[in-house]
Amino acid sequence: MTTAVDNRSGDPGAHGRGRWPVLRRSAGRDGRSAAPPERWGLRALWVTLAAPGAVWLIILFVVPFYVMLAVAAGSVNLLLQSPVPVWNPLHWSGSSFAAVWHDIVGPQAFLGPPIVRTFVYTAIAAVLSLAIAYPVAYFVTRYAGRRKTLFLVLLIAPFWVSYMMRMLAWIDLLQQNGYVNRVLSLLHLVGHQVNWLGGEAPTVVLGLVYGYIPYLIIVLFAGLDRIDPSLLEAARDLGLGRWRAFWRVTLPLSKSTIVAGMFITVLPMLGDYFTNQLLSGTPGTTMIGNTIEGLLQSPGQQGQGAALALLLLVVLLVPMVYYASATARASRENI
Amino acid sequence: MHPREGWSEGGRRLPTGMSRRDFLSRVGIGAAAGGLLAACGSPSKASPGGSTTSASAGGGVPLPRPNHPVKWPLFSGNEPIKSGLAPEKGATLQIYNWVAYINESVVKNFCKKYQCKYQITTFNTMEEAIAKLASGQLKFDIFFPTIDEIGPLVEEKLMRPLNHSYIPNIANAWPDYQNPFYDQGWQYSVPYTIYTTGMAWRKDHVPENPYTMANPWAMPWQSKYKGKVAILDDYREGLSLALMKNGIFDLNTTSASQIAAAGQQLRDLQSLVSVRIDNNDYTDVPSGKTWIHEAWSGDIAAAPAYLPKGTPVDVVGYWFPANGKGPVNNDLITVLAGGQNPVLAHLFQNYLLDSDNAIENYSYTGYMQPLTAITPQRLVAEKLLPTSLMSTVVLPSYFRRGVLELELPAQANLAWEQTWNSFSKGL
Repeated sequence: MTTAVDNRSGDPGAHGRGRWPVLRRSAGRDGRSAAPPERWGLRALWVTLAAPGAVWLIILFVVPFYVMLAVAAGSVNLLLQSPVPVWNPLHWSGSSFAAVWHDIVGPQAFLGPPIVRTFVYTAIAAVLSLAIAYPVAYFVTRYAGRRKTLFLVLLIAPFWVSYMMRMLAWIDLLQQNGYVNRVLSLLHLVGHQVNWLGGEAPTVVLGLVYGYIPYLIIVLFAGLDRIDPSLLEAARDLGLGRWRAFWRVTLPLSKSTIVAGMFITVLPMLGDYFTNQLLSGTPGTTMIGNTIEGLLQSPGQQGQGAALALLLLVVLLVPMVYYASATARASRENI
Repeated sequence: MHPREGWSEGGRRLPTGMSRRDFLSRVGIGAAAGGLLAACGSPSKASPGGSTTSASAGGGVPLPRPNHPVKWPLFSGNEPIKSGLAPEKGATLQIYNWVAYINESVVKNFCKKYQCKYQITTFNTMEEAIAKLASGQLKFDIFFPTIDEIGPLVEEKLMRPLNHSYIPNIANAWPDYQNPFYDQGWQYSVPYTIYTTGMAWRKDHVPENPYTMANPWAMPWQSKYKGKVAILDDYREGLSLALMKNGIFDLNTTSASQIAAAGQQLRDLQSLVSVRIDNNDYTDVPSGKTWIHEAWSGDIAAAPAYLPKGTPVDVVGYWFPANGKGPVNNDLITVLAGGQNPVLAHLFQNYLLDSDNAIENYSYTGYMQPLTAITPQRLVAEKLLPTSLMSTVVLPSYFRRGVLELELPAQANLAWEQTWNSFSKGL
């Protein structure tokens, strides 16, 4: 009995009822040479339909990315101290990258603390976000019943208010005489008024959690909602208790969702500067995003800002590539 | 950093990092480029790589100083407009300005008078503005740069020289601004606003009075106000505060030891009070979020509008040395060479130099213009400024006695930037 459940948990994508057609399509791709002509017509249709999205992606991602590269490897108008992008790769210069590297490891390096802080803050915020978001998403999926739509709307509601406005609202709430301190005092949780906005790292971390947790909840909700309830019923029928059924079935099946949700929340957290600036603003809590923003606002140093942003991107690509290759490998093994 | 850098239209300022005053390096860098200019006979445009280390201070484009005034050249092909021209008909005056830095009703009245339309386009940082202007794609008529921008903008032929016959109201300006050191003969600019950098504090929380302190510039260095102290988010203003605390009033110093000592002072400040670095002096002091804030005079003049209901206006104080020995800066109104309505642009400059219009403008921006008819007494009498904040008014003598944060030679500027970055971003 246990073996059967284990097999399912090791192959989350293949066992949901809705997944079987995917497998059949995969088999069809493998037998491509035998595909009838109408299949080719269908394929052409899908390619055509995907074209606008591809063009959109090129315009909004590839082109700006190349502009960043052209600025990072470009030159500076010495009179106006504004960046001059160089479009021809043959004329690119690496001096901005060298200058950034010098700021990271050189004798006068100063980027070490913000880099370390960025990863520490983000790691803590990611763990906290998951600890909060998973139960919420699980509750809505499993126990909200007919009110599932209502809860879903409530989960999406924060997106109706701009991120900046939500953060500005927190500034008022976190004032020394604000509602947060009043409630904490009322509950006798603090003996004095905490200066949350006085450059406190926990405030920054909680700000990151608050700012990005809706994204995680929605991704988790989407993933958990797609888990076939009959699998849980089968696990229970086969003798697993609630907790073990969750541990042996639900959690493994939601593993890829958790990873995807983490990417969606962690990546913007790593580049965030706004939350930090609004809720702290002290040198003791700066993150990489603040440094990049500072360089971009600095005359003649926009190239270095672009270079630092690209270096951050390269670092972030490592886990992305690992995730993509691991997912592809798992998919191949399952087939 | 400009006082309006990072403002949102709603009045609340967005966070910014490095700032406009980084730009003060421009003419320093330009000096090196100017050297190339002189040598090659054509404008030098670019240095590889985004690093400014390749440019060093030298000859060429000069660095204006009070004791070294500069008269900028006129270029063929970029002549002033002829005298006696009628304003362009059916035109749309294109204004390019900082966010929330002009009273729109003033612009409306101007357009009513001259039967034109207007379009105000805003920018948040001077870097953004210059980058767009440098592209040559934008056709703005009026631009509001800082004094350090004149050299680069003139050399790039982005500014149009002025025809003085359209601007008789220059006579309303303080005498110093009728022939300023940064633009001798006011060939390219007329003055816009003037402001000081001083200390704002909450009198109900901070018993110390900077006017009676031995060294008011040291006011933020008090550990008992931990979490309640902020300095301006600007490398020149931040380090200048530390320099003045150390008793150094050469705010354009190139001394490595003085700059390093100022950096150490800021690190000590962080250890003492977890200092916040922002430009929210105009909201955070009235709200009580910050009790001691290095501040701009115009921001604090506008601060009463942000006081919570029931909070008396006199709880906010602003200190600037009574002898005028503190940071003073001003902005400019210029006509852009690419604009389509140069006559209207000249007339608009003239309109803004009218004291009544300037007063109306002040009622919105909080930043005064250096016009002789605008006095502290008038601002108080017209209920535009509470008596308790008369210290935010800039007096004519300040421009002469004040210390100006001017362009630095390239290498010195890099030292300033590096010191500031290692403090503000690297602790």
